[in-house]
Amino acid sequence: MNSFLTAFFAGTSQGAIYALVSLGLVLVWRGAGVVNFAQMGQAMFTTYIASQLIQNEYSYWSAFVIALISGALLGALVDLGIMRPLSSRKNSLLLNSQSMRTTIPVIASLGILGVLKALAGIFWAGEERGFPAPVPTTGLRLGNTDLAITGFDLFVIGVVFLTLVLTTIFFTRTGMGLAMRASALNPEVTRLSGIRVGSVRTLSWAISGTASSLAGLLVTPKTNLSPNTLDLLLIVGFTAAVVGGLTSLAGSVLGGFILGYVIAFVNVYSAPENVFLAILIFLLLALFLRPQGILGSKEVRRV
Amino acid sequence: MLKVSNLVTEFASIKALNDISFQAKPGRITTVIGANGAGKSTLLRTISGLERPTSGSITWFDEELTDKSVEAIVRSGVAQVPEGHAVISQLSVAENIELGGLFRKRQARGDLEIATKDVYELFPILFERRREPAGSLSGGERQMLAISRALVARPKLLLLDEPSLGLAPLISAQIISIVDELCKSTGLTVLLVEQNANTALAVADHGILLALGKVVADLPAKELIADSALRAAYLGY
Amino acid sequence: MSKVKSHKVIGFRSTRLAIIFFLFILLLSMQFGPYNQFQLANISTLLIAVLSITLLTGASGQISLGQGAIMAVGGYSAALLVTRLEISMWLAFVLAIFISALFGLFLGLAAARLSGPYLAGTTLVMALAIPSIAIRFDSFFSGDIGFSVDYGYPPDWLTNLLGEISIEEWSLYVALPFAALSLFAVLNLSNTRSGRTWRAVRDNEVAASLAGINIARTKVIVFVCSSALAGLAGAIYGFRGLVAPSVYPTDLSLLLLTAAVIGGLRSIGGAIFGTFVIVFLPDVIEKITKFLELPETISIYLPALMIGLLLLITVILNPRGSAGALEHIRHRHKH
Ligand SMILES: Nc1ncnc2c1ncn2[C@@H]1O[C@H](COP(=O)(O)OP(=O)(O)O)[C@@H](O)[C@H]1O
Ligand SMILES: [Mg+2]
Repeated sequence: MNSFLTAFFAGTSQGAIYALVSLGLVLVWRGAGVVNFAQMGQAMFTTYIASQLIQNEYSYWSAFVIALISGALLGALVDLGIMRPLSSRKNSLLLNSQSMRTTIPVIASLGILGVLKALAGIFWAGEERGFPAPVPTTGLRLGNTDLAITGFDLFVIGVVFLTLVLTTIFFTRTGMGLAMRASALNPEVTRLSGIRVGSVRTLSWAISGTASSLAGLLVTPKTNLSPNTLDLLLIVGFTAAVVGGLTSLAGSVLGGFILGYVIAFVNVYSAPENVFLAILIFLLLALFLRPQGILGSKEVRRV
Repeated sequence: MLKVSNLVTEFASIKALNDISFQAKPGRITTVIGANGAGKSTLLRTISGLERPTSGSITWFDEELTDKSVEAIVRSGVAQVPEGHAVISQLSVAENIELGGLFRKRQARGDLEIATKDVYELFPILFERRREPAGSLSGGERQMLAISRALVARPKLLLLDEPSLGLAPLISAQIISIVDELCKSTGLTVLLVEQNANTALAVADHGILLALGKVVADLPAKELIADSALRAAYLGY
Repeated sequence: MSKVKSHKVIGFRSTRLAIIFFLFILLLSMQFGPYNQFQLANISTLLIAVLSITLLTGASGQISLGQGAIMAVGGYSAALLVTRLEISMWLAFVLAIFISALFGLFLGLAAARLSGPYLAGTTLVMALAIPSIAIRFDSFFSGDIGFSVDYGYPPDWLTNLLGEISIEEWSLYVALPFAALSLFAVLNLSNTRSGRTWRAVRDNEVAASLAGINIARTKVIVFVCSSALAGLAGAIYGFRGLVAPSVYPTDLSLLLLTAAVIGGLRSIGGAIFGTFVIVFLPDVIEKITKFLELPETISIYLPALMIGLLLLITVILNPRGSAGALEHIRHRHKH
């Protein structure tokens, strides 16, 4: 099969997963002012939960649903247990310093990441294990020709597409979605409208946790599962979010797909060991050429 | 009635409110005037719960507001229109209005629809432009939107922070007269903060003059307008 | 007049502290066996890297998750110079400082435009990408295999002076003077006018720029100084035996950050404490797990768990780290 199509399809299905990760990052950044470096640690953990359930003879789908729910709970827990107490420490000297206010949550999220990885290692021995796909991961055939896409790729693209549609409906058509957008844009006016901004914030952590948990379930059939497998996904997701401007949900999704193609084409036309370098170069280009993101407007960037 | 007693609000070392006491009559407009930095915004923000007072108390009829959260205070019927045409410019006009009533959506859906219709009747221009982003509105329209956002919550007490700021005199007069009518027709209680005192005092029942966080005059509005010596001393005109 | 005076006092104080540190480690090493002597050498080396973070984050509020990558720059520079040009290790270390500083200049020019999460994320990407360069251009950087380099043998005058010197002792004698010098440099830097400028930028960029401080230039200078230190640490770290991508993993960057955080990002004493913790904690935990006869799956991951928890507990209980907690207690005693 021709290599362009191979790269294109791989880029689309990987890009769909990156879009989820990037969406999760942007949700929490907009909603809570935190870039959550623990995000894929949470996803790794919930994927292990699913894997454990499947080992205990639960069906794929019940494990799938339970993993998503645990993703939401874990996200909410991170907010309620750690991030909220941190941000309410107004009198702390260090938090009075402007730059430390964004730095401290980042450090906290790194701590969470470390703890989750270690716990996963302790519970599940840290060895690499496979994670099943609900549909075959072999290439599809049309008559006698091999297509460059697998059934699982189609599944991934379908699930992500559905998720994005549901997310869009949630944000544009429901009151809760409006409350979330409003509190990200202007917490004070939102509070003055009687909305419990704290709960809304916890909800964005939960939704982000679900999205990244889904990403974990979708990516591990190809990469296998170990405490470290999702690290790369975080890096790519972050880059995608920056490409999208870090504040725009639509931009973050677009950024995810762009990165999917960049990485797929580097993989096919260059060599896999160039991927990291390509990501770094791409990130730096994005930061310098369009710091406001592909869809962002200049004043939106909150740095 | 709104009763503020011995209110003190501090920022680090600054006493922005230094032992403030006054009352605002129900169904009337009480105007708070004072120079820039006098503590007017801090007063409103303390009443609405955005700032925590160090001491003193705020009661609305029999309800103690002093240590309640912003959300709870809004639910007690107190709505604030913060300084500077505070609307969310990336949201549409209709969404800004919807936001104001969102917390009542479950209990009072029917009334919310009526309230929304009411504000559109009050400000027809907002209805015409309801699909546009709030950021595209003119200054006066934005102020109308900010007031509408507060009104759909059906407040009993409305806190208005310098609604005239940056508006042409004609438009600010129009907005203030609409607020005045609203007061008369619905029994809304209004605490109106202004730097430019004349239009605001003209519709007010009572006037309070703040300087450096203290109440320096608490008089019927007419007397405050007439007292040019006081105004010259504290406002410089 | 009084300014000049206080400056001199500070210079004296930092000299004294650096010497105390030097002697303290030296005395400690005499009580220890070879393994712990080697750990002390590690502490001295890593302290330099942790100081580079304390300098960067504590003085300017900027956070770098890629300090390990800058260490790699220093390590590879020194290793290439020694293996390709066959210059002396000492000269290579000094040149590595300059090369890393130059790298820090470029990094700083980029980073001056970034702050908060942008910088953290970008440096994290860098931490992953830089070691992969060695694999990408493997004919030059010799790929995964890397360079075998070591501290060589102690000079004759030293063996004449001290008698037989073990490998472990020698690695300590190489690293310790650099650590003391770095300590001296950082102590001086953070107490001078530029140190105060940096803190002003950290606390409030707008106010600092109103006070006439050139924010971008300040940030770049901080990056240059910090990278110079990290590069030196990387060179010494690599010459323990191997300069290769696996020596400078992302986890190293995070470990260094942990040390700086648990000690207290603002405190140099905290940096020393934090470095001791990250180096000795795994050993302590191993003793405990052996004693409790915990299964291996737990004992392998326990150090990582403890370090993660320490990081979390520090930011939650006292973001200023253990140094901040001490200060707090002292403060309370006074009242
Ligand atoms: N968030 C704050 N932090 C520190 N000081 C504040 C803050 N808000 C207001 N102040 C100070 O409190 C005083 C009163 O301010 P404000 O209430 O805004 O006055 P006004 O609305 O009458 O112009 C001023 O001295 C102002 O500098
Ligand atoms: Mg004001």
